[in-house]
Amino acid sequence: MIRRVLAQPTGRLAVGMLSVIALLAIFGSVLAPCSPLTNSAHQLAPISASHWLGTDYLGRDTLSRLLAGSRASIVGAVEVGIIALFVGAIPGAASVYLGRVFEWVTLRLVDTLISLPFLLVAVAVTALLGNGITQALLVVGVLLAPSFYRVSRAAALSVARSQYVEAAEISGASEAWIVRRHVWSKILPPISVSLAQTIGAGFVVVSSLSFLGIGVQPPAPTWGGMLSSDLSYLSYQPWAPVAPAVLIIATVWACNLLADSIRDVSGEAGRAFASARPKRRRQLARPEVGA
Amino acid sequence: MAVSSAVHPIAVEDGHGVTAARARHAVRGLLTNFGRTIAIFVPVFFVATFATFLLRALSGLNPARIQLGQNATPLEINRLEASYGLDRGFFAQYGSWLAGVLHGNLGRSWSNGYPVAVLIRDGLTISLTVATLALVLGVGFGLALGALAAVRRATWIDRGITSLLSIVSTVPAFVIGIVLVEVVAVELKLLPSAGFVPFSQGFWPWLSHVLLPALALSFGCMSSVARQLRAGLIGAYRENYVIGATVRGLSRRRIFFRHVLKNGIGPAVAVLGLEFPALIGGSVIVESIFALAGFGQFAATSAQMGDVPSVQGVLVVSIVLVVTFNLIVNLLLGRISPASQRGV
Repeated sequence: MIRRVLAQPTGRLAVGMLSVIALLAIFGSVLAPCSPLTNSAHQLAPISASHWLGTDYLGRDTLSRLLAGSRASIVGAVEVGIIALFVGAIPGAASVYLGRVFEWVTLRLVDTLISLPFLLVAVAVTALLGNGITQALLVVGVLLAPSFYRVSRAAALSVARSQYVEAAEISGASEAWIVRRHVWSKILPPISVSLAQTIGAGFVVVSSLSFLGIGVQPPAPTWGGMLSSDLSYLSYQPWAPVAPAVLIIATVWACNLLADSIRDVSGEAGRAFASARPKRRRQLARPEVGA
Repeated sequence: MAVSSAVHPIAVEDGHGVTAARARHAVRGLLTNFGRTIAIFVPVFFVATFATFLLRALSGLNPARIQLGQNATPLEINRLEASYGLDRGFFAQYGSWLAGVLHGNLGRSWSNGYPVAVLIRDGLTISLTVATLALVLGVGFGLALGALAAVRRATWIDRGITSLLSIVSTVPAFVIGIVLVEVVAVELKLLPSAGFVPFSQGFWPWLSHVLLPALALSFGCMSSVARQLRAGLIGAYRENYVIGATVRGLSRRRIFFRHVLKNGIGPAVAVLGLEFPALIGGSVIVESIFALAGFGQFAATSAQMGDVPSVQGVLVVSIVLVVTFNLIVNLLLGRISPASQRGV
């Protein structure tokens, strides 16, 4: 599947952008020319040879802060995606097998999670639970879990009812073999589409939280937090928000592009999974949180 | 049955038995739709409020820490907790809290003892003004762009609108907000960048202060509505009845409004049920950028202080708003596309 994604131009573009961003996240703090936390006398300095992107209101080098902040911003988004995957996908698949009570309860929980005003809840709950990065990631991960619940439930339903699984069982295949051979290949494409989208969405939410000073507190550099401090000095440095904003938009865009490209190459699987919805249930909403 | 007996005599007088049957059918459809919608949202309301109530236990906060500080004696702490009813059992507290919520009593703030309902009221006006205006802008522009793209499908207009929407949908609301402040307020000096003026001080001062925040908030809604409408309309254009209508020589306008729009608008309405929570939730960001004292800001500051009842109050109010709005959307959807009624 990875090879087929890379065969597409959009897939190559998305993977390329994401690898650059990942490199930034890994080596960012090493590459940074100055310390991201050292104040200097050159406050709000323009672009120059010593400060490639200028300095902020405390004289801290903008480029260094961008590089150093990349890790908190991106690792957070990936962790959110993984938390959401575990919180959502396991109950989603289990809801098909564990009986009607479990199914009803989890469906109501998912309905509730989807109809919550997302950012408001994320801000309020994170701040109440102690305003740390761990709390923030857990809260956002749980709030984003419904999309995985839906996807894995739909995939599990379609697999559980399929004749080829039945045929494999009859011909004596072991449970593990069936899961590896049939279930896995069925679940993987929609899950990876969802994962790419959720990481993009999680990135937006984590940036929004750090913009508000929730989760990661100010002196530590984050892209969202930098935008928030740039906002107060717009009349002095109108171009300051450009760099963090471009980085944020590029990251989200690359995630969405990757999701689209996975969906394209696994077109068959994606369509089969969509048409295998059990019954037309009027749901509260479909989670397209990337929007 | 009361309905049928009320409608019937008139219908018989007119000699139109069909009208009565239709009216009865419509009323029955409305009632079943309403019943089904309630069946979905009552559990949502209770689960969400219960989760909200759990926040206090999860956070482990108490009013003594805010009001009495570090040097409080255990006796003082106990007395204060008792005055907020925190010395009782978990379910006793939940019972009285839920009863209060159902009566519109959201408890007292831990930081100053005022009723939370009173503290929220002013902020709620601001937030609802901005959210409503954002909804109007988002739906208006969304429908216009989506319809335009669908009517001119596979032309450069369609491609332009589609790519614009895909860009807009990736840009987070706070980035849009900053760009608007930068361009419209700081550079062009067209509109104020912060604050709120009540409607009583004149229409333009009021509008000029809420326009930018509403615009920043509306982009997500706009792109969702436009994309769903475009997809829905293009799907409807492919149907055989459109070919049939064209063959019968109906005008393009008539085909669009009578056949295509009626059948293709469903997803765009349905997505509003999704976008409204995002509008309410996004208020917390937009209010921070444009320095509005709305209930999102109130929730954020209260949460950072550890004032649990105030946060719970805001969450309960926002849940009620979302549930009410979804009820309306579902009723609307039932009228527009009866097919969505099949099976809940």
